This record gives sequence, C-alpha cells and structure tokens, in this order.
Amino acid sequence: MKRLDVIILRIFLCGLPVLAGIAVFNHFSGVRALYNMSGFLFAIWMILSVYLGIRLVVSGDFRDRVLVRLTFIRERDEREVLLTGKATKTALMTSMAVLILLFCLSCFQVSFFKLPADKAIDGKTRGFSLGLNFSLFNDQGKKISEEVSDRYNVFSYNGLPLSSSTVILLLIAWQIISYNCVMKRLTR
Amino acid sequence: MGKSAAPLKIVNRLHVFRAEHHLTQERLAKEIGVTRATIVAIEKGDYNPSLGLAFRIARYFNTDINAIFTVEEENK
Repeated sequence: MKRLDVIILRIFLCGLPVLAGIAVFNHFSGVRALYNMSGFLFAIWMILSVYLGIRLVVSGDFRDRVLVRLTFIRERDEREVLLTGKATKTALMTSMAVLILLFCLSCFQVSFFKLPADKAIDGKTRGFSLGLNFSLFNDQGKKISEEVSDRYNVFSYNGLPLSSSTVILLLIAWQIISYNCVMKRLTR
Repeated sequence: MGKSAAPLKIVNRLHVFRAEHHLTQERLAKEIGVTRATIVAIEKGDYNPSLGLAFRIARYFNTDINAIFTVEEENK
C-alpha cells in the first residue's frame, strides 16, 4: 500500500468526526467564516472519499488491506484460508439470492383499484392490475405509474420503496454479517 | 490399479506425539506456524492438514509422515 494512500485514508477516517463536530458547532454558533470553512473541508473530504473509492476498485493490494479489516477476515493459517473460502462462498450465494429477490420485488407492480362508475369495465368498478417494470433510470418508472390517473388505487405496489442508497448499504451490511455468521459457525 | 474409490478416513496420532514431547497445543502451534484452533481441529479429526503442513509436523517431530498420519477405510 502506498504511503500516500495510508495518509489519505487516515485523513478520511479522522475527518468524519471532525466534520461532524464542526457541523454541530456551526449549528449552535452561527459564525459565517466557520460555516464557509466547514464547507471547504467537507468538499475536500468528499474528494478524498471518491479517490479512496476508486483506489479500492483499481488497486488489489489496497483493497485487500482495507477491506480485510472492514470485514474482519482473518487468514492466519491454511485452515482459516479454507474456512474463509467456504464462508465467502456462502456469503456470495446468500447475497445472490437476496439480489434476485430484490430484483423481483423492484420489477413487480401490483395494484388493486376502483374505477369511477362511468368507466366501469363490463359493469365492474373494481379490479387489479399486474405489471413488470424494468428501467435503467429512475425517471422512467415514475412516468409509467403516472400514466393511469382516473382510478382510485386501494392498494398499489410499484417496486421497492427503499432508495438505492439504502439498498446498497443493506447489501454491504448483509455481506459482512453473513460472512461473519458463517465463519463463526465453521470455527465453532 | 488399486481398489475402487471407497471413502478414506485420515487418522492421526498427533496428540500422542505431542504428549511424548511434553508440548502444549499452543506451543506446537507456534512452532509449526499455525493457530491453536488448527491443532485442536487436526487432533479431533475435524480438519485434514495439507501435505505441506503434514510434512512440517512430521519434520518437527523428526519422524516419518506415516508415523503420524495413517489412512483407514471408512466403514459404510
């Protein structure tokens, strides 16, 4: 790992509580100069986080050193290497299963609705519709749901209500937790 | 050629050798460069060491690998 990476990583980690402290202080003091300075510091911290994110993707050595600590992976001898492999496989498989489930839940659209009396279909004013929605960008999904306007939805499900940031964060947590649970079971 | 691929069980006398040399699991683990949990797992038969580690153990006790590790045919 490069010395520069180590320094940036330390600044990044130490910067988070410092920024939080400044933000709280700003909130109560309201000093304009300090407010401007904290914005500048936050911009630097954001640039560092993007740099570290890119380094994690492109540098195998950096990734190994940082993520091994983050995920609590221990490979002190050949048995632990073997168990890590088994636990990693299980974590990958369970993550894949969760991803497939989330993909299905994000694509399906279900709605139970009531129609106005003048728009009854075969004399029926109640019905339900099923649909599949897959789009590359978030805006497309919104347009589809806006198309049907003159009906009253009793129940409507248009994909996952969670934001993409929440789903990604949950998946990261899932990976770490499932790996460690399996590892604990294997080493028992 | 040999027999059909019947399941084989590797048994070891590591605990005997360890006792003869008055070694604790912790000490042996340190000497051959593994964790104590690995020594425990080998002695219990929960883990079969790699050839490299098996030779390292045999060399440490200054004996042949067959003296420590033997193969038995598993009862069906």
